[in-house]
Amino acid sequence: MTGQARRIVVTGLGAVSPLGIGTKDTWIAAREGRGAIRIHHFDPGPNGPETRDTAAALISGDLLGALETALGRRVGASLDPFALMALAPAHEALAQAGLLQAPVLEHRTALVLGHGFAGIHTLEASFERFYGQKAARMHPLTVPKVMVSAPVSAVAMEFKIRGPVFAVSSACASSGHAIAQGAGFIRGGECDVAVVGGSEAIVTPCCLRAWEGLQAMTPTTCRPFSAGRDGMAIGEGGAVLVLEALDHALARGATILAELAGVGLSSDAFHWTQPSLDGAVRAMSRACEEAGALGGESVLISTHGTGTPLNDKNEAAAIHTVFGKSALRHPVIATKSAHGHLIGAATALQGVIGLMALAEGVAPPILNYLGADADCDLDLVVERARPIEAQAMLLNSFAFGGLNTSLVFRRSPRGEGV
Amino acid sequence: MAELRDELIDLIADEALIERSKLVPEATLADLGLDSVGVVSVVFAVEEKYGVEITEDAFKDVTDFGAFLAVLEGVVETKRAA
Repeated sequence: MTGQARRIVVTGLGAVSPLGIGTKDTWIAAREGRGAIRIHHFDPGPNGPETRDTAAALISGDLLGALETALGRRVGASLDPFALMALAPAHEALAQAGLLQAPVLEHRTALVLGHGFAGIHTLEASFERFYGQKAARMHPLTVPKVMVSAPVSAVAMEFKIRGPVFAVSSACASSGHAIAQGAGFIRGGECDVAVVGGSEAIVTPCCLRAWEGLQAMTPTTCRPFSAGRDGMAIGEGGAVLVLEALDHALARGATILAELAGVGLSSDAFHWTQPSLDGAVRAMSRACEEAGALGGESVLISTHGTGTPLNDKNEAAAIHTVFGKSALRHPVIATKSAHGHLIGAATALQGVIGLMALAEGVAPPILNYLGADADCDLDLVVERARPIEAQAMLLNSFAFGGLNTSLVFRRSPRGEGV
Repeated sequence: MAELRDELIDLIADEALIERSKLVPEATLADLGLDSVGVVSVVFAVEEKYGVEITEDAFKDVTDFGAFLAVLEGVVETKRAA
């Protein structure tokens, strides 16, 4: 980072996604091009409208069982899925960082998670109970399960994190802002460690209908930057990164996975759903300038890449504006084609996958690509994984409502791997 | 009766996340960590499963698990007998 501010490194990663439970399974599926978007049949129940098929990416496997085994205790139905999807990757990331039960968690650790929505599963079941079944009473834990801060409270209680703890929300950029906020606590000296990321669990019959109303959802599958792309597909899951002051990580002999070298935040102040070239360019430029990533080196670009006609065209134009003549030298990936759009957790999950890509020197492929679109002239990694030389990654998120985050990570300054 | 009691203990263990072996008659609700929200959660689950209604003052003199369980059993048995 600039000036005398502390340098910030990544010492732990965790993920649960439609690609797998855990970072390793998620990464291997992404690298091997095993996508998880499927057509699902969602039944809204006896009080809902007709059923409909929708493209979405769901977690498969027993997440609750895996979490209970990892924690060594029962969790049961005490948490909404969006909190489970934060707790599991938080445990994985803290374990990898070697910080479970570490004294630094008591006072010098921040916890910031981002979510576009809250406990939608619980909320939707409650509405069905109240309006559909005409039940007068709600479950006593409805409020703590629904509230947007439930995941951070659950994670803080589980791991005894007692520093600044709160949730942030900025739609599809929520976990990008969470990462930026956590980095700020370290940079400013208030904390040595920040547990950051996000989670999202909004694959419910009613919520998916709301998304369909935006006219931004694909009826088939997600094809970022491709000819014939026709929208996004929702995914579910969560991802967590452990950020740490470089000096603190070195002092305790931690394995350093990467450095967070640049942060760029901007707002379009323009439109609910249409992207802005100016807003994207300002976020990307600021992050790259701070990280010194505009000097011609090859940069892996993990795009917002939703697969909507407008986003991908705008993002391609922004990449050309920021990188100029070198724009075609940077490998471009769009992993939402594999795991769907995790909304508030998207930045964190794509960060985890991108850091694995940097560490292994392999870019995962964009899936479902049908052919070139003249509006998206980029060095797209399609069909199969590709070896890369890049030592840095630019990670973009451009949210509905015009809220943008761009982050630049560099491979471990000490040459260590993931 | 014993079958209903076992069902209720299973339900309480699941709902309140308490190990079944700790749910013995002499354990106090405080020992079990069964606070007011925990009690209401269990009551809610029993009402849902058995189609009964349990009034708020049903547990006003209850301090141990045996008495707590007896109230729940009584409500369900009354409903079944009706």
